[in-house]
Amino acid sequence: MHTLFAIFPAQQFALIAAILGLPLLGAFVNGVFGKRLGRDAVRLMALAALFGSFACSLVAFFMLRERAHELGHGELAPNPRLVWTAWHWLALSGRDALGSVNVDVSFAIDPLSGVMMLVVTGVGSLIHLYAASYMWDDPSFHRFFCYLNLFVFSMLVLILGDSMPLLFVGWEGVGLCSYLLIGFWFTEEKNAAAGKKAFIANRVGDFGLLVGMAMLLYYTGALDFEGIRRGAGGLLDPRGVQVWPLGAGFPSWLVGWLPDGIEKGLTAQRLAFPATLCGLALFLGCAGKSAQIPLYVWLPDAMAGPTPVSALIHAATMVTAGVYLVCRLNFVFVLSPAVMATVATVGALTALFAATIGLVQHDLKKVLAYSTVSQLGYMFLGVGSGAFTDGFFHVFTHAFFKACLFLGAGSVIHAVHARIHDTDASQDMRNMGGLRKYMPLTHATYLASCVAIAGVPPFAGFFSKDEILAKAFETKIKAHAIAGAAAERIGPLWTPPDWLGPLLYFVGIAGATMTAFYMFRTYFLTFWGDFKGWKVTPGWKEPGHDEHHGHDDHGHDHHEAFAPGTGRDHLEGPEPHESPSPMTIPLVILAAFAVGAGFLNATILGETLHAPELMTMEHWLAPVFAPSKGDVVVPAFDASHAWMLAIPGLIAAAVGIGFAYFAYVVKGGEPTRNIAARAPKLHQLMLDKWRVDELYDATVIGAVDELANTAVVADKWVVDGVLAKASAAFVGLFGAGLRLFQTGKVQTYAAAMVVGTLALTVFFYLPHPDASITSDPATGTFRVQAGPGLGYRYRWDADGDGKLDEFDSDGDGKPDDKFGPRDAIEVKLEPNQSKQVTLAVENAFGRHDTRTITVARPAQEQPGAPVLMPRPAPRPPPPGG
Amino acid sequence: MSMPTIQQVYFSICAALAVAGAVITVLARNPIRGAMGLLLAIGGMAALFLSLSAEFLAAVQLLVYAGAVVVLFLFVIMLLGPDAHTPRDKSVAAPRLVAAAGALLVASGGIATILFWNGTGRVPAFPPLVPGPGSVLNVEAAIERASGVTPAKLGTIEAMANEVYVAGLVPFEIASALLLVAVVGAVAVARGRQGEGPRRPAGEKSGSPPAPIGAMASAADAAAGPAPARRA
Amino acid sequence: MIHIQHYLVLGATLFTIGAFGFLTRRNVLVALMSIELMLNAVNLTLVAFNRLHAGNLALVAPGGRNLHHGGQMFAFFIIAVAAAEAAVGLAIVLALYRLRRSVRTDEADQLRG
Repeated sequence: MHTLFAIFPAQQFALIAAILGLPLLGAFVNGVFGKRLGRDAVRLMALAALFGSFACSLVAFFMLRERAHELGHGELAPNPRLVWTAWHWLALSGRDALGSVNVDVSFAIDPLSGVMMLVVTGVGSLIHLYAASYMWDDPSFHRFFCYLNLFVFSMLVLILGDSMPLLFVGWEGVGLCSYLLIGFWFTEEKNAAAGKKAFIANRVGDFGLLVGMAMLLYYTGALDFEGIRRGAGGLLDPRGVQVWPLGAGFPSWLVGWLPDGIEKGLTAQRLAFPATLCGLALFLGCAGKSAQIPLYVWLPDAMAGPTPVSALIHAATMVTAGVYLVCRLNFVFVLSPAVMATVATVGALTALFAATIGLVQHDLKKVLAYSTVSQLGYMFLGVGSGAFTDGFFHVFTHAFFKACLFLGAGSVIHAVHARIHDTDASQDMRNMGGLRKYMPLTHATYLASCVAIAGVPPFAGFFSKDEILAKAFETKIKAHAIAGAAAERIGPLWTPPDWLGPLLYFVGIAGATMTAFYMFRTYFLTFWGDFKGWKVTPGWKEPGHDEHHGHDDHGHDHHEAFAPGTGRDHLEGPEPHESPSPMTIPLVILAAFAVGAGFLNATILGETLHAPELMTMEHWLAPVFAPSKGDVVVPAFDASHAWMLAIPGLIAAAVGIGFAYFAYVVKGGEPTRNIAARAPKLHQLMLDKWRVDELYDATVIGAVDELANTAVVADKWVVDGVLAKASAAFVGLFGAGLRLFQTGKVQTYAAAMVVGTLALTVFFYLPHPDASITSDPATGTFRVQAGPGLGYRYRWDADGDGKLDEFDSDGDGKPDDKFGPRDAIEVKLEPNQSKQVTLAVENAFGRHDTRTITVARPAQEQPGAPVLMPRPAPRPPPPGG
Repeated sequence: MSMPTIQQVYFSICAALAVAGAVITVLARNPIRGAMGLLLAIGGMAALFLSLSAEFLAAVQLLVYAGAVVVLFLFVIMLLGPDAHTPRDKSVAAPRLVAAAGALLVASGGIATILFWNGTGRVPAFPPLVPGPGSVLNVEAAIERASGVTPAKLGTIEAMANEVYVAGLVPFEIASALLLVAVVGAVAVARGRQGEGPRRPAGEKSGSPPAPIGAMASAADAAAGPAPARRA
Repeated sequence: MIHIQHYLVLGATLFTIGAFGFLTRRNVLVALMSIELMLNAVNLTLVAFNRLHAGNLALVAPGGRNLHHGGQMFAFFIIAVAAAEAAVGLAIVLALYRLRRSVRTDEADQLRG
């Protein structure tokens, strides 16, 4: 360890270069040479890059542990960091308080980013291994791994970046990779559209992130995280930010006719703390990346990408970047209880909302996608309640069990796809069933993950999710006391009412019930019962998927109605079979973590049993969340109270699983069909995902389209018609005139050159007596400076007697009347006095010319008046010329 | 009127040869005759260089111009054969070109006159090469005093070598690079693009001499499409 | 005595004859020869001025061990460049002839606007 620290000192921790560089190298090699290298080499490159990066990450992580041990534990221990500054990026300098801000390309591993780094490289390695087998037959194998490696690189930049701009680089990098991978099979319109949708939805969020960054820069005077933490107090700037009215105010013609009371209410100035606005803006960015209401719509569509992509990017890592950002900037978010309440509320609502949609979807991956949205909601509920550790811990456990679920689903789809050669149909759960006996390993791992996500103790999901719910119930965010002028102008910070926490708790419990139900619905439909894939003929498509199509939940009837192969059981074709070992090994490892990872932060057990080793994560992350610790009020642990809060979660899991078993195994789907039949409209609405996409189409997208249509008209008539065509016509006319001179014959051009040379000759042959005047207003001294020229020599008449003065021009001590090198004279003037100065010039050809210049000094009361320009006098005939 | 000095006679003869050669070059209908005129003008100027103490330059002038450039012109003229001759040339000079040339002639003559016969009496004479006041030898003596080295005489090979290889080595090397590039460029341009020549039928032996330039030209014409109609 | 102006007038005359030839003759070969004439006229002027200023101590570089040879050096390099120009120019004449089967400048007007 000492040797390692000697090679990689904590302040110049170059091992980060290897962690970041290997995936980048993989992306480069696979992207540039992949096509020529062949599949084996591409696989070798991609896997070696990832596993190498993971190995380096492990080394770095253990070094960080050593470092943390050196610095000591406890509340007051400094945050252990391993920093590597690659190069100085840019220096911003601003006016006023905003001195100069240096932004370095600097990376840091601290407890938070260290854990995240391990998850990304570790889960990433497993998924790479899985994907190498899953994607083996794809013609764009190398492209896939180029993108995937690039994604890991970008994600690591996002995590390890030590400043907001660098985080933003990673943020956009993962967005780009996400776009590329969602549209990986871009030949299909649907996939390309899904990629586009993800990209654009994320742009909306990025706008918020950029605004938040700008506010952080302005109010905290820094962009690196340490600097932001130090300057976070600036976000409670007593001047506040005017949020209403926008701009200077309302014009009187707009509000003058309103009754006085309404007018006052409408036009009153309203201020807010920068912390609130900044936090909301940052959260908008998080909501975009982490698929929260209202920007969650892209994530379900993102399932158009290959399944390993869904597992890695759209479940385990990228979508949790928003949660990571909130954790990273916890000291910014806690400054405003309003922001925290917003985060928690949006999280809880998303958790519930997405769960309702997940209840009725038929597509296996769609259900998992909505489950991901829902689980992300729980994470935000956690961090929004101030339980940063628990929110982040849910990121950690979710990465394992959701990756495992997706990979399991991929394994299932892989098997079913061999039977049904249709992307949509092979993902439809109504075509599955009974896979338990064909794919035992997939079945076991999928079950373990389902149990984990449903929150059954002692699996990982129980400890992370129930701790979030408990904290949401009882934790409060303490508002900073506002005093002085700020209190008068802005008022105190808004604090959410006391009932909000319990309300969010019950919303979360409701969501947890649904989670348990829909997860086990997928499990039972997929692995239990009989395999229905036999009855599906190749190329069969579910009719009218997007149109309203009745109310039955069971696709079996459809098959009988539409599939021509009805009754032909046991069609020829391969049986579903277990996937090869490169695909099952990651499943097993991930399932093991899904089962056991919860004990890393089993707070409820640890506190009850007084076993701190069960709360490793809490201790480990304590230095990261120490800055916000004072603002989060957590009641003292009370075992009975804690178990009271945990029991509804257990009941929720039991009810959800039990009902799923009852409905799909015992009754074969009868009860759910009945419920759907009783409320067909509601069921249809849920099946159509509450028609949120349609709502957005009608409102936001429709408005943008209308704007674009208007702009098209303006572009067509004003820009193209008037500006472009008119100016083109004018230029064309001019060009037509110039064309006459372009004969294309060399000698014409040479003749023009001769004419120009002659003109220059004439210019140089004639002398040009020009002069400029500079003045010193204090003394009234005017300096007349003659312009230079070819062999120019000068004579002056400074005393105004009409004759050129005598001056010693040749340096023999006697004044003479010859032209000499004196090219400037000085004239002293009283205010309001003016004088005539004559300048005579002789050039190299012996030609003479003179010019009379009037020098005038303005009256005294205009000090610093502009210098007068020389006024040419009528030119006298050149002497002897 | 006093007898002209030997210098004046020498200058007058050389100048007359040079001007006569130049006039022949410009006015000759036959380009071969023009090249001969150029040769005459170049020879006259080389002789004038001698009178200006530029012995080395005079030799270079003869070697490079008379020996290389004019011969190159002759080669090209002979390569082109009768096509090098443009009989309609003299009669169709565009009026504006004539006007421009005339203006140039008048202007340069006028300038020369005004420059040096403007009555100020400042017509510079060449500093003498024999001992005396204002002599070049005084400068040589000054240099010798300053550096302890006797400078070479003006314009000798020794003096020019000193200039070229000591003071002006870098420009000299750049000039050599320029010449190399010019040679390569000339070869590339003169040879034309490969495959532009007439396609040989298969089986013809590859070692046959290149097609005559006329044949190549016609092939190029065919490749370039219909040539613009020539004015009759 | 021969003064500088004799050479200058001669140089100007030769230059003018060359310019006249270049402007009026349509035979590319003659035009090229005219260019050579103009270059030579300039050379003559340079060498004459060198002779005039050879006795000017101010033009000798500090620590120099030679008389002033600037004009002759210029002429020397102009001769080198003129040789290169003639080689390339004549190569272009050949290329033009191959394309147009003519050496008339007024037929090479593809750059006409």
